[in-house]
Amino acid sequence: MMPAATEIIRKLGAVLDTYVPERTEPDLLVPANDYFELAGEEFGRRLMLTTGVDGHDYCLRPDFTLPVAQNFLRSGAPGAASFGYWGKVFRQRSDGPAEFTQMGLELLGHDDADAALDKVLRFVVDGLEAADLRNLTLTFGSVALFEALLGGADIPAVWLPRLRHRFGNPEALDALLNRLGSAPVAAEVAIPNRQSLIAEITEQMVADGLSLTEGRTPAEIANRYIEQRELDAARVPSETLALLRDFLQVSGTVESAVARVTDLAAASGTDLSAPVETLMRHAENLATFAPGMILNFAAGFAPRLHYYTGLVFEVRGRGTDVLASGGQYDRLLSALGAPGEIAASGAAMWIERIVEAANA
Amino acid sequence: MPDLILALPSKGRLEEQARSTFEKAGLKITRPGGARAYQGELGGLDGVTVRFLSAGEIARELTRGNIHVGVTGADLIHEVSEAAPHQVIFAKPLEFGEADVVIAVPDAWRDVTHVDDLSDVGADFAAHKTRWLRIATKYVNLTRAFFARHGIAEYRIVESLGATEAAPANGSADLIVDITTTGSTLRANGLRVLEDGVILKSQANLVVSKTATWDAASRQVLDEMLRAFGVATLDLKA
Repeated sequence: MMPAATEIIRKLGAVLDTYVPERTEPDLLVPANDYFELAGEEFGRRLMLTTGVDGHDYCLRPDFTLPVAQNFLRSGAPGAASFGYWGKVFRQRSDGPAEFTQMGLELLGHDDADAALDKVLRFVVDGLEAADLRNLTLTFGSVALFEALLGGADIPAVWLPRLRHRFGNPEALDALLNRLGSAPVAAEVAIPNRQSLIAEITEQMVADGLSLTEGRTPAEIANRYIEQRELDAARVPSETLALLRDFLQVSGTVESAVARVTDLAAASGTDLSAPVETLMRHAENLATFAPGMILNFAAGFAPRLHYYTGLVFEVRGRGTDVLASGGQYDRLLSALGAPGEIAASGAAMWIERIVEAANA
Repeated sequence: MPDLILALPSKGRLEEQARSTFEKAGLKITRPGGARAYQGELGGLDGVTVRFLSAGEIARELTRGNIHVGVTGADLIHEVSEAAPHQVIFAKPLEFGEADVVIAVPDAWRDVTHVDDLSDVGADFAAHKTRWLRIATKYVNLTRAFFARHGIAEYRIVESLGATEAAPANGSADLIVDITTTGSTLRANGLRVLEDGVILKSQANLVVSKTATWDAASRQVLDEMLRAFGVATLDLKA
């Protein structure tokens, strides 16, 4: 007989209770601007928006992570805290608005970040086990590994943020690598003198009534203009491009993927040992309490949100739906105004999908 | 109860050109009450009610299924909602009301000539400034879809209700997405269209609603109307 949804939901809730006895219940209706400011327009288009009589935009919460982090900061970020939640989230999808139930765990400000991530992983495993799911695949991604690769590779500094910001979007990253591999625009044109170029741009901006300080400054425009025309200064060597491409294609079991990444690191003389060891440690630990789960690593996998750091992961069953996802997001609290980075780990589980998978 | 509701732009050049297009197709539209009446009559075809609405309302009512057929700009359909272009059929481009929805940047940004450059600038803003790259536009859906297609996520839209071309100079945005026919307004404001910055080449279209109620009688009237415009029978399944 198929397990009833209510029974699975009761068991999932019981798992959550063992991690956090009391559930946190952030508002359903939250200021939309916070999401736009944090995640930009691409994420913002997924929000269910409404406008208040005060003219401000609000949205139905699209996740719990941001409101939980905000409440933590409002309470003065009192050391380490654990939050468990269960409730609805709302998002626009291509076929219309939709509501989902999420259960999740967020561990904020825990000094031992490794232990916190292990706890989050264990929470996910316990939940999926409670729903009696088999044939699960957990895929790790590592923001830390990609950042270490960028940091150690031969790349002009100006390209680092541009590459980093495209991480998690394979098409955009691929397009940029193609562009970097092609000849620079107008390479034959003489490189203008920087100072006179700045003076020219300044003059034009003043004539067009543009602020010289509010947006892009004349120096920023001139620098990028020169950089496009310089053959050497901002050129990414073809070996580096090949390394990045090879790296981004790495995908497979953690064991085989790590072997491949280690080879690439050795061949290019890049030190990736620290993030690789971190990945191995968590994968080995996870294997001890989830022996049946397939553990993969995909070098190009990351949520395209800049506040993720360290390791990220998602779990799928036989189908294509993500059943649970999470990771480390040490830059979220500082992005929300905390004076420095605060260690943070968390995961969310998609209840309807889990119930459906359990009945499949 | 009419079989089919047809909506035309209620004023200006668009109204004149829409009526003359119908007249050339052998379907003369009259407006017995003059310019202040919002109901018209269609000669040459029975069972049609003609309404005069603003072009934006025509786009919205077509997607909601409150009118069957309308004349409106492709850009306005896209702006109703993300799904709106799939809720209608662009049955025939009518070769008037032509305008392009384009990305324009300050001409002083001489390093920015293509959309690819904007993705660099967006990432640079996210990395080095305390705010996002800002784009002023009233074409929110078209802008979001275009930037998503180009893998650009690091930006924010500032909704503009008019005089979008002034946004970079008044400091409310860094660049704009706006509609232009000759580009002269953009140039006068120190703005330049990116070389690959045309998001949509828009013009007035004969647009058929897929969400309206279609019965045998209204389908027959539609087919006759389409035949007058040289358009074959349409598949109206949503």
